[in-house]
Amino acid sequence: MTVPLELYLVLSASVFCAGLFGILVRQSALHFLMAVELMLNAANINLVAFSLEHGNLTGQVFALFGLALAAAEVAIGIGIILVLNRNFDNIDVTDAVTMRW
Amino acid sequence: MVDVFNFVEAIALVPLASFVLVLLLGDRMPKKGAISGIAATGFSLAISLWVVLDLAMGGEVYHEELFTFVAGDDVGVELMFGLLIDPLAALMLTIVSLIAFLVHLFSLGYMNDEGEIGLRRYYASLSLFTFSMLAFVYSNNLLMAFMFFELVGLCSFLLIGFWFRDDGPPSAAKKAFLVTRFGDYFFLVGVVAVLGTFGTAAFAGEHSFIIEATHVLDPSHSGEMNTFFGLGEQAWITVIALLVLGGVVGKSAQFPLHTWLPDAMEGPTPVSALIHAATMVAAGVYLVMRMYGFYALSPTALSIIALIGGFTAFFAATMALVKQELKQVLAYSTVSQYGYMMLALGGGGYVGAVFHLTTHAIFKALLFLGAGAVIIAMHHNENMWDMGGLKSRMPVTYWTFLFGSLALAGIFPFAGFWSKDEVLLETLQHGLSGEPILLVGYGFGAAAVVLTALYTFRMVFLTFHGDPRTETAEDPEPIGWNMKFPLVVLGVLSAVAGVINLGAIKEFIGEDALFLKKWLEGKTLDGELGSLSAKEYHHILESDYAAGYEVTEISPLGPGALALVLALIGLGGAVALYRGSEPTPHMTKLGRVRTLLMNNYYLDEFQVWLATGLTAPLARAANKFDQSGIDGVVNGTGSVSMFTGQRFRKIQTGIVTNYAALLTMGLVLLLLVFALMGGWF
Amino acid sequence: MFIEGILAFTLASALLVFGSPDRYAGKLATGLSLVPLVGSVLMWLDFSSGGNALLADGNVAFQNTVDWFTFTFDSFELTLQWNVGVDGVSLPLLVLTTVLTTLALVSSWTPIDARQSQFYGLMLLMEMALIGVFTTLDFLLWFVFWEAVLIPMYFLIAIWGGPRRKYAAIKFLLYTNLASLIMFIGMFSLIFGLGDAISTLSFTEIAGALRAGELGSFAGMEAETLRLFAFVLLFVGFAVKVPLVPFHTWLPDAHVQAPTPVSVMLAGVLLKMGTYALLRFNFTMLPDVARENAEIIAAIGVLSVIYGALLALAQRDLKRIVAYSSISSMGYVILGLVAFTPHGMGGATFQMVSHGLISGLMFMVVGVIYNATHTRMVGDMSGLADRMPWTVGIFVAGSFGYMGLPLMSGFAAEVLIFIGSFQSTVIGNAPLFTAGAMFGIVIVAGYLLWAMQRTLFGEFSVETDYEVGTAPVHDIAPMFVLLGLIIVLGIQPDIIYEAIQNAVNPLNDPLTLAVDFFTGGELQ
Repeated sequence: MTVPLELYLVLSASVFCAGLFGILVRQSALHFLMAVELMLNAANINLVAFSLEHGNLTGQVFALFGLALAAAEVAIGIGIILVLNRNFDNIDVTDAVTMRW
Repeated sequence: MVDVFNFVEAIALVPLASFVLVLLLGDRMPKKGAISGIAATGFSLAISLWVVLDLAMGGEVYHEELFTFVAGDDVGVELMFGLLIDPLAALMLTIVSLIAFLVHLFSLGYMNDEGEIGLRRYYASLSLFTFSMLAFVYSNNLLMAFMFFELVGLCSFLLIGFWFRDDGPPSAAKKAFLVTRFGDYFFLVGVVAVLGTFGTAAFAGEHSFIIEATHVLDPSHSGEMNTFFGLGEQAWITVIALLVLGGVVGKSAQFPLHTWLPDAMEGPTPVSALIHAATMVAAGVYLVMRMYGFYALSPTALSIIALIGGFTAFFAATMALVKQELKQVLAYSTVSQYGYMMLALGGGGYVGAVFHLTTHAIFKALLFLGAGAVIIAMHHNENMWDMGGLKSRMPVTYWTFLFGSLALAGIFPFAGFWSKDEVLLETLQHGLSGEPILLVGYGFGAAAVVLTALYTFRMVFLTFHGDPRTETAEDPEPIGWNMKFPLVVLGVLSAVAGVINLGAIKEFIGEDALFLKKWLEGKTLDGELGSLSAKEYHHILESDYAAGYEVTEISPLGPGALALVLALIGLGGAVALYRGSEPTPHMTKLGRVRTLLMNNYYLDEFQVWLATGLTAPLARAANKFDQSGIDGVVNGTGSVSMFTGQRFRKIQTGIVTNYAALLTMGLVLLLLVFALMGGWF
Repeated sequence: MFIEGILAFTLASALLVFGSPDRYAGKLATGLSLVPLVGSVLMWLDFSSGGNALLADGNVAFQNTVDWFTFTFDSFELTLQWNVGVDGVSLPLLVLTTVLTTLALVSSWTPIDARQSQFYGLMLLMEMALIGVFTTLDFLLWFVFWEAVLIPMYFLIAIWGGPRRKYAAIKFLLYTNLASLIMFIGMFSLIFGLGDAISTLSFTEIAGALRAGELGSFAGMEAETLRLFAFVLLFVGFAVKVPLVPFHTWLPDAHVQAPTPVSVMLAGVLLKMGTYALLRFNFTMLPDVARENAEIIAAIGVLSVIYGALLALAQRDLKRIVAYSSISSMGYVILGLVAFTPHGMGGATFQMVSHGLISGLMFMVVGVIYNATHTRMVGDMSGLADRMPWTVGIFVAGSFGYMGLPLMSGFAAEVLIFIGSFQSTVIGNAPLFTAGAMFGIVIVAGYLLWAMQRTLFGEFSVETDYEVGTAPVHDIAPMFVLLGLIIVLGIQPDIIYEAIQNAVNPLNDPLTLAVDFFTGGELQ
C-alpha cells in the first residue's frame, strides 16, 4: 500500500507551521535555529514526496542538497549564537538590533 | 614718390606697438614710456599729414579690405577689417594724432614731473587709446567701427580710473563705461540689424549698406534689403538709424546719457583733454558723419538728432553756469558743444558739423590743457573761487586760455565763431523751409550761445582776474616748457583755424575759399566712392525719397552777426557780473534754480535710482525667487524623499522576529491575492 | 588609432598618478597631461575640415570603428561598436578639454594641499572621460563616458570642496544623474522607435535614419508624438547639464563649494557637454521638432540670459557671480543653436569654446584672490590692485572679456550668435528675441564693473588676517596662457571658426542658404 501524497503534504505543512511558529514567538537563538531546521526539513519532505509521486529523482537530489545546506547553516548558526552569547551574555535574538555592535 | 598708402595701416598700428612695448617694458624705459608714446603719436601725425597732403594734391581715396575677421564659409555674412581713408577720415586722423601727440607731451609735465606712480599703466593705456581711436576713424565698416568704439570705451575706463586708490575715480570709471555701454547696446543691435538687413556693413563701395539703402528708396535705382516686423523700407531704415544713434548719444554724451562725462573728470586732466573733450567723445558724432548718407535717408532720424543736439546744447550750458570746479564747467561745455554738432547734423549741415568738430577739438583740448596747467599750479585744487589773479602769475597759460575761451564763446574772429555760425546758419536755412523742429533746435542753439559766452568768461574772470583769493593762488607752482608748448600750439590754432571755412563772409571771399567744404566734397570722390562726398549728401538730403530738406537762401551775414551779438551779450554779462578784484558769487541769487542746476536736474540721481532702486531690487527679488522658489522645489524633492525614507525606515526595527512576521504576513497576503484572483473561493 | 592612444594614455597616467607620492603628484600629473594636450593639438594641425560627422556625407577624421558584439531583440539586431572620430564641432572642444585640464592642473598646485595624488588622479580620470564624450560616435559608448565624468567630479567636490561640499556634491550627482536617466529614456525610445531601420547605435546611423523619417511607433506613440516625446526628454536631460533656467540651481552650489581647478573644469568643459549634446542630438537628429518649437527654445535661451544675469547681479560672492554669469552665457548658445543659420549655430559652437576659456580664466583669477585673502565676498575686501597688480590686471581683462569686449573671443562669439539669430527664419520675430538676449551685455557689464570697483579699487583693506602679496608665478602663468588664447581667438576667430562652420553649415536651413543675397556683401 502506498501512502497518499496528501498525507505527506499535510505532514510537511504541519512541520513547516511548527517551525514558523517557533520563529515568530521564540526569543532564544537556539530555538530559532531549531525552528529554521524544522522549516527546511518540511521543504525536504515535500521534495521527497513529490519525487516519489512523479518517479523523478531530481527532488531527492535537491533534498540531499537541502540537507547539506542545513548542516552548513547549523554550523554558521551556532557560530553566530556563540558570538551573540559572548557579546550580550545571552542568546536573545531581539537584543541584537543593529548591523554592527 | 613713395605712395603714402603703403603704410597707412601704421597710423594706428605704431601706437599699438607702443602699447605693447610700454606694457612689457614701461618701467625700464626713459620717462616710463612717455617717449615711446610721443614717438608713436608723432609718427602717426606725420603720416596723417602726409595723407592729407596727398589727398589735397589730388591723390586717390584709399579703400582696401585688409583682414578677414570671419570668412563666413560662403554662406554666412563675411566680416572684414578694412581701411577707408577719405577726406573726412584723413582730417579726423590728423586731429586725433595731433591732440594725442600734444597730450603726450603735456603729460610729461603733468604726470612725470609731478612724480605720479603707475606711469607705465598710464602711458600704455594712452597708447592703446590712440590706437583704438585711430583704427575707429579709418574703419571701413560698421562692425569694425563698433569694435574700436568699444575699445576706446575700455581705455576711457582705464584712464578715468587711473587713480584707483581713491574712491571717486573707480566709481566714475564704472559709470562712464556702464552708461556708454547702455548706448552701445542699441548700437550693437543696430550693427546686427544692418548686417541682417543688407548683408554687409561696409561704409563705402559698390555694395555698401548706405548705397544699398539709397538705391532701395531711390525710385531711379533698384536695391534690395530685408525688412522686419512688416515695416516699410524707410521706416525700417529709420529704426536702424535710431538704434545706431543710441551708441552715438552714449559716446558723445548727449541727453539723456550725458551724465557720465562730468564724472569722468575724475581722470587725469590730459586724459580729459584727449579723450573726454577732443577725440573719444567725438567718436559718436563722427560715426553719424561717417554714415551720413544713411541718416540723410530718414527725415525722422534727422529731426530727432537735431532735437537732441539743440536741447543738449542748451541744457548742458545751463548747468555749466553754476559749477565751481574748473573742469566741471569745461565738461558741461563739452556736452553742450557736441550738442551743436548733433544739431548741425540733424539740420543737414554736414560741413558745419565737421567744421565745428575740428575747431572744438582744438580749442577744447586747449582749454583742458590750460585747466591742467592751472590745476598743477594750484596743487590740484580745482575750485575757481579759490583762484583769481593768475593772469600775471602765469601769462602763457592766461593768454592761450583766453584764446581758447574766445573761440569757445564764438567771438569774431576766433575759430569757434566761424564754426558755430556755420552750424546755426545751415540749421536755419533748412529750418526756414518748413521744418519746424529744426527751428526749435535753432532756437535752443542760439540761446545756448549767450549762455556759452557767459559761463566761459565767468570761468576766465574767476580763474585769472581779480585778486588771488587763497595763498596757493598768490604763489602758484610754475609749469615747464613741456606744458607750455602744447598750449601755445593749440592757442595759435584756436585763433586761426577758422580760416579753413570762412562761411560767414563767403559773399566776399567766394565759394572757392571755403577750403573745408571743397575738401569734403572731395574732387577725387567719384564712382562708387562718390557716395562719401558732401555734395552727394546734399543731393540725398534734398531728394524727396529721403529727408526732402530744402534750402532757403539767406545771406550768411545776418545770422553771423546775430550769433556774434548773442555771444557779445553773454560776454558783456560776464564782464558786468564778475569784473573787478573781488567778484561776488552772483549765481547764488538763483536760489532753488541754482540748487537744481548744481544737482544736474537730478538726472544722475535718476540714473542711480534706475540701477540701485529698480534693477538691484529686481535682481534681489529674482534671487529670492530662485533660492526659495526654483531651488526650493529642487531641495523640496530631496526633502520629501528623505522624509518618506525616514518614515519607512521605522519598519526596519532590527528585530529578527519582526522581519519574520513581515515575511509571513507577506506570504499570506500573496496567497490570499492569488487565491482571490484564481477564484479558489 | 590616435584617439584610442590619447584615451589610453590619459587613463594610464591617471592610474600612475594615483600611485605616486603626494609631493610629486601635481607636477607629474601636469607633465603627463601635456601628452594628450600635444596629441590633440597635433590632431588639430592635421585636421582638414570636411562636414558634419553625423551626416551621411560628412567626413569623420581619425575615425575607427570596431564591432563589439551583437544582441538580438525580438525583431531586430543591434551591433554595439567601438566608434570614435572627430569633426569640426568636436575637435575644438577636445582641444579645449586638454588645454583647460593642463592649466587647471597647474592652478591646483597652490590650493590643493591634501591627498594630492588622489586629486590629480581624479582630474586625469575626468579628462579621460571628457575626451571620450567628445570623441565617441556610438550612443552606448558615449553614454558610458558621459556618466563616467560624474564620478570623479563627485569625489573632487565632496573631498576637496568648501564647507558644504557634501550637500553640493550630492546635489550635483543626483541632479545630473537623474537628467541622464531622462535623456537615456528619451534616446532609447527613439532607438526602439527606429527598430529595423538601424543596425548599430552609431550617431551617424541614428541621425541618418531619423532625418530620413524612418521613425516608427513605439509604446503606443505614433512617430509624430514619439519624436516630440523624445525631443523633450533629451532637451530636459541636456538642459540640466548646460544648465538652462529653470534647471540651473545645482550649478552655483557646485561652483561655490568646488575647489578652483574643479570649478575651472566644471564651467570650462562640463557645461559644454550639455550644449554639445544638444547640438548633436536635438538639433542634428530631430531638427524638425526644434524648428517647430523654435520660439519656445529661443525664449528659454533669452530667459536664461536675462534671468542668469539678474541673479549674478544680486550675488555678493565673487564665485557665485561668475557661476551665474555662466548660466547667462550659455543662454546665448541656445539662442544661436535654434536659429539654424550659419552664424547662429557656428557662433554658438564658437561660444562654447570661448566661454570655456573665459570662464576658466575668471574662476582661476577668483581662486588666486581667494588663495591670498581667504575670502570671496565682495564686501570683505577692497583695493586689491594695490597689492596684486598682475592678478588684478588679469581680473580686469577677463571681466572685459566676459562683457564681450571686441578683439577678445567673447565678442566674436556673441556677435556671431546675434547676427545668426537676427537673420533666423525659423524663429518668428527673431530680431525681438535677439535684442532681448543682447540686453544681457548691459547687465553683465553692470555687475562685473560693480564687483571690480568694490574689490579691486579704492583703498586697500581685507577683512581677514592674511598677508596679501603677489601671487606665485605658477598661479599667474596659466591665466596668461588663457588670456593669450582669448585674445588670439578674438582677433582671428577663423582659426577654429572655419572648421566649425564647415561642420555645422550642413545642418542649417537650406532656405537661408538659398538667399544668395547675403553673400553679395563682400567688396571687390
